[in-house]
Amino acid sequence: MNVLIVEDEKSLAKEIAAYLSKENFLCDMAFTGKEASEKIAVNLYDFVLLDLGLPDYNGLDLIKESRINNIDVSFIIITARGAVEDRVTGLDLGADDYLSKPFALAELLSRITAVARRKFKISSPDITVGEFVIAAHARKIMHNGLEVELTKKEFDLLHYLAINHDKVLERYQLYEHIWGNALDDQYDSNFIDVHIKNIRRKLNAFGPTPWLETVRGVGYRISTDH
Amino acid sequence: MMKLQTKLALFSLLAKLVFSALFIGFLPLIIERINTLQTDNELIKKRETVIKLISEVGIEPFITDDTVNGFGSYNILKDEFISLERVDLAEDWNFIEVTQRLIEGEAIDYRVLNYSFKVDGQTYLLEIGQSLSSMRYAAKNTRRVILIFLAIFILVTLLSDLLYTARLLRPLKIIIKRLEDTSSPSLPDSMQIRTTTSDFVRLDQTLREMMRKIEELFRSEKEITVNISHELMTPVSVLRSKLENMLLTKDLDHDIESGIEESLRTLHRLKTLINSLLLISRIESRQYLKEDSVRIKELISEVIEELSPVAADGGVKISLNCNDDFIFRNANRSLIFSMFYNVVNNAIKNTPPKGKIEISGRWRDAIFELSVIDTGKGMSQHQLDNLFSRFRTKPDPGGDSTGIGLAITKSIADFHDIAIRVLSEPGKGTEFFFFFP
Repeated sequence: MNVLIVEDEKSLAKEIAAYLSKENFLCDMAFTGKEASEKIAVNLYDFVLLDLGLPDYNGLDLIKESRINNIDVSFIIITARGAVEDRVTGLDLGADDYLSKPFALAELLSRITAVARRKFKISSPDITVGEFVIAAHARKIMHNGLEVELTKKEFDLLHYLAINHDKVLERYQLYEHIWGNALDDQYDSNFIDVHIKNIRRKLNAFGPTPWLETVRGVGYRISTDH
Repeated sequence: MMKLQTKLALFSLLAKLVFSALFIGFLPLIIERINTLQTDNELIKKRETVIKLISEVGIEPFITDDTVNGFGSYNILKDEFISLERVDLAEDWNFIEVTQRLIEGEAIDYRVLNYSFKVDGQTYLLEIGQSLSSMRYAAKNTRRVILIFLAIFILVTLLSDLLYTARLLRPLKIIIKRLEDTSSPSLPDSMQIRTTTSDFVRLDQTLREMMRKIEELFRSEKEITVNISHELMTPVSVLRSKLENMLLTKDLDHDIESGIEESLRTLHRLKTLINSLLLISRIESRQYLKEDSVRIKELISEVIEELSPVAADGGVKISLNCNDDFIFRNANRSLIFSMFYNVVNNAIKNTPPKGKIEISGRWRDAIFELSVIDTGKGMSQHQLDNLFSRFRTKPDPGGDSTGIGLAITKSIADFHDIAIRVLSEPGKGTEFFFFFP
């Protein structure tokens, strides 16, 4: 998929591009609003990651422009301004999602994937971990055809770990993902431990879960080596 | 406390009453004096008439040589009399005195004018009397009229005072009403106050000017938060992405890996801190809308549901006891959620296993009151005093708390005019009370 990263902070744009390239995205960058406007008009992108705080352009105008010109592209707003109105206006104008700086690259990937799933009706593949199958689309986890009952938060947590399998996700990253939309980060590492404990307990009733690893006390990882 | 208008009216009433009391006190004296003067004037007038009559028709019709006692006349009610007699006097008489006269066996007090004059070498004494009782009767009448007039006067002036002060103070009322109706620091573009009182015009102008300045301050504060947010978060974001990408490097040295991880955690703490400060600043500069109607019971249930896994893990039991529902209007739901979330989460953290947290809501004296009571470790007076100050509550060593959660709670409560009271005793527990406006 083609992604245009519109971000005046060049080093950040490059980091995002480096990360997404590894995830098999084709990345293009624009460091000013004018450049972005031209690139969107000429090239076909699936996604535009849009920083609202551009020096020469109100980022929101880029969304308006492309809507007027009937360009079918998904916007994910990235902003550090954090003004409440920006978020509302952005989503009103038809942006597909909204991320506040600083975000985790893993979170960005998960948002892009979610938008892609909605927009292009791509059903994400089922992920097999140990004896369990995570059916992302149906939002279920199955063991030999039997559903394991998880709460919404527990499922989200497991799914996020599964998408980022074989990578350690720190507790705060998991917390951000689950409670990221809360007004502020009342981060409490205990929350994640409690939820993981509950997930393990529920899954262990069906089968072993050595694949859900606790890593050096800093976070968790789903390992596909098992 | 009393309204200005009431005060003015009361003062004017008091002044009138004092004046009236003095007046009424001196009234008998004044009336008697006026009455005597008037009676004397009448007596003198009657004397003139009699003397004039005598000089026209002569003394004979009244007194002849064979008259023994002289001439005398009184009316049926005996309230006045005239007498004329021959006398021998060494000097001329012309005075008025009060004497008693016996008329038909009845002793009556009279005010009598004595006047001597000579006709053909003979001295005559003319006496004209007016009874004191008739004078007193007149005085009584006069007093009654004056008292009635006084009462009417006080009533009418009081009423006009009230009406006038009401009219005079109307602009003040309008200004107060406007201020009360203004929730955010900007005056609606209402017209200038219409008044001819220069003080009110100045008051209005001063307030307007003040409001404009405050509005300006709030606007710049808002801009500052947006700018700080941008300026601080962008570099944090760059650092974070760089570090995260580094972590993805294959076969990373273990020490370097944990170094990067630790940096990321520190960065996260920095982010949380900045966000919390910005949140408080945004609340204080009123950048959040208050447009939701929040069902408090429902919201508390959500908070409990959210936190129940953590509470269960810590062996803490949460109970909700809220029979009365309360719909909190003109509120920001997310902020209110955040406020209770903070407090309940705090209670869970500070309550040892087998402890209890009781949340209850009730109406008391037309005020909805919500309490969060835990059986936790409680706080000392010193901790209580600093409870809502930013950073004063020392975070647990190695914990994730930035010690700012309750400062956020307080600013959200202030933003919604919710009063908070906290009672706590070390070792026994803490009680949070929320009083909704």
